[in-house]
Amino acid sequence: MYNLYVLIMKFQAKSLTNGTKETTMKSKILCLLTALSLAVLVTGGCANKEVIKSEEAVVPKAAPAVVEVAKPAPVEPVPVAPVAQVAPVAPVVQPVENQSAKASAPELSFEAVYFDYDKSDLRQDARDVLSKNAEILLKSKPDAKIQIEGNCDDRGSAEYNLALGERRAKAAMQYLVTLGVKADRLSTISYGKEKPAVQGSDEAAWSKNRRDEFVLK
Amino acid sequence: MRNTCFILLILLTLPLGLFAQSGIPEAVEVTAPGNRLLKLAIDAPRPLDPGSTVDSAKEISDVLVFDMNMSGIASAESRDQLPLPGGTKIADTDFMPWMTGGYDLLIRSEYSIKGDDLTVEFRMFDVLNRKLMTTKRYLGRKNELRRFTHSFADEVLLVITGEKGCFTSKIAYVSTQTGNKEIYVMDWDGHNPLLLTRNGSINMNPDFSPDGRDIIFTSYKRGNPDLYRRALSNTAEIALSNRKGLNITGTWSPDGSMIALALSKDGDAEIYTLAKDGGNPVRLSVSHALEVYPTWSPDGKQIAFVSDRLGKPQIFVMNADGGNVRRLTTSGSYNVNPRWSPKGDRIAYSRSQGGFQIYSIRADGTGDTQLTSEGNNENPSWSPDGRFITFSSKRGNGQGVYIMRADGSGQISISQGKGSYFQPAWSRN
Repeated sequence: MYNLYVLIMKFQAKSLTNGTKETTMKSKILCLLTALSLAVLVTGGCANKEVIKSEEAVVPKAAPAVVEVAKPAPVEPVPVAPVAQVAPVAPVVQPVENQSAKASAPELSFEAVYFDYDKSDLRQDARDVLSKNAEILLKSKPDAKIQIEGNCDDRGSAEYNLALGERRAKAAMQYLVTLGVKADRLSTISYGKEKPAVQGSDEAAWSKNRRDEFVLK
Repeated sequence: MRNTCFILLILLTLPLGLFAQSGIPEAVEVTAPGNRLLKLAIDAPRPLDPGSTVDSAKEISDVLVFDMNMSGIASAESRDQLPLPGGTKIADTDFMPWMTGGYDLLIRSEYSIKGDDLTVEFRMFDVLNRKLMTTKRYLGRKNELRRFTHSFADEVLLVITGEKGCFTSKIAYVSTQTGNKEIYVMDWDGHNPLLLTRNGSINMNPDFSPDGRDIIFTSYKRGNPDLYRRALSNTAEIALSNRKGLNITGTWSPDGSMIALALSKDGDAEIYTLAKDGGNPVRLSVSHALEVYPTWSPDGKQIAFVSDRLGKPQIFVMNADGGNVRRLTTSGSYNVNPRWSPKGDRIAYSRSQGGFQIYSIRADGTGDTQLTSEGNNENPSWSPDGRFITFSSKRGNGQGVYIMRADGSGQISISQGKGSYFQPAWSRN
C-alpha cells in the first residue's frame, strides 16, 4: 500500500508541474489512494504496540516479596511481624531476622537520664535524651504509657532520697509534657536509693545511679 | 551468614555482712564525777528440782549481767564459783563473803522447770546493810525465762533510781536476710528475732504504736510506696495510706490517736497528719521544699521534721498544728532522721559529715553533742525510758543494729545473722 501512495504522490507532483486537463483527473484519483494508504498504515502500527504492552504486565511478583524480608527493619515497628510472614521459608531467613530484630531494638528503647549530686535539674545531656524519648512517644509508640522511675546514689539518707528521687522523676515528666507528650500517658515513682543500677562506692558508680529510668506500662 | 549474637551479662554482687554477737559489754564508768558504779554480784541461780537444767541458770545470769552493765549505774558480774549454801531467804544468806568481795548489791534467784511450766524467784539485797531491797516471783512457761529475768532487771532499776527499766521492750528493724528488705522485731538485747513481713518487696521505716501492739511501715508490695499497719499478733497487712506518690516515714502520736507522715499527693513531699485509721489527712508543712521524717514531742504538742527549704536537709520544729516553724539544727550541712526523746529534753538525729554520725541536741537548739565517731551511723531511736538509743551502723564489713547509752557510751552490736540491718525503731513500752 505504501508503494501505491508513493506512485500517487509522484503523479500529483507531475500533474502540478505539467498543468494539463488530462493530468487533473488522474491527480484526484491519486489523492483518494493516498488517504486510504495512510489509514491502513496507522491502524496496522497501533495493533503492534498494544501487543507489546500486555506482555510486560505479566512479569511475576515473587521478586519484590524476597526483597521485603530483608528490609523490614526501618519500616516495621514490631520486629516479630516479619518472622510470621516468612515462616514457611524460615531456615534461610532466620539469620537475617535476628539481625533485623537487634537492629530495631536500640532505636525504640528509652534511654535513662542522669543527674548531678543532690540535684534534680535537667542538664543539657538530659534534655537531649528526653527529646529522643519524646520522639519515640510521639511517633513510634503513640499509644504507649510509661512510668518514670526516679533514683539516687547511695550516699544520702534513704528517706530524704525517696523525696529527691521523686523530684527527679517529676522534672523529666514535666519536660516531656512541654515537648508535647500528653500528661495522662506519664506516671512517676521514686525508688530513692533502693534500686542502684551499679554497685560501688565511687563517683563512677554514683553517677550511674543518679538517674531516671523510663519503663513501659 | 552474618550471624552475630550479642550477650549481655550483668553481675550483681550484694555484700553479705557477717556479724558476730559481741557478747557481754564491759562495765563503763558513769561520766558524772562523784558517781561511782554500784558493784553488783549475781549469785548462781539455784535449780529447785533435778529436772531444771544448768542452761537456764546461765541464761538468767547472762540476762542480768547484760542488762545491769548496760544500765550505766552498776557493774555486774556473775559469781558462779562462790560456794554459798542455803536458799534465797534472808536468814540463809551469809553476807560476809559478799562484803569482803566489795559488793554493794547482790541478786540471788532460784527456779523450777517442770515440763513446760516455769517458776522463778529473784531477791535483791543491800549487802552493806544486810537488807532485802526487792523480791519478785514469776510463774509461766519455759520460754518466758528471759522475759521474766528482764522484768526483774526493770524492777532493780526502779528500786535504785526511781525509774523503771526498759529491758522487756522490743526493737523493730529492716533486714535483707531473706534477700530483700523485710520487717523484723527482736528483744532489746537482740535475742528472739522474728520475721514479721513476708511480701518479697521493699519494706522500710517501721514504727511502733504506743501500746506496743501494732507497727506501721512503708512497703512497695503493691507497686507504690504505701503505708501499712500490722498487728504483731496477726499477719494481715492493712493499707493505711496508699495515696498517689509517697506515703513514707509514718510515726504514731504519743497518745495513739494520729499518725504523722510525709505525703507527696499534692505535689512534693510534705508533712501531714492522719487519723489512726489512715483517713482525714491534714497538711502541716507548706513550702516548695521537700519535707520528710516527722517525730512528735512526748507531750504531743510539737513535731520536729526534716526540710531542705534552705538548700540541704536540716531539722526544723513546728507546733503540732503546723504553726511556728523554727530551725533546730544550726551546725552541719546535712542533718536528718530526728527522733524526740521520751523524756522530752533532747532530739537525737544523724548528720552527714563524710559518713553519718549520731548527735543529740536539746529541744531549744543548745547542747549539740556528737555521740558516735566510728563507722556510718543512721536512724537513731530512743528506748521508752530515754536511757538508750538504738541505731544502724556500718562498721568494718557489716551493717547492723547497735544500742548505746544516751550519752554515747556502751556502743554494742545486737543484731545477729546474715544480711544487712537498717532503720531500727524502739517500742514505746
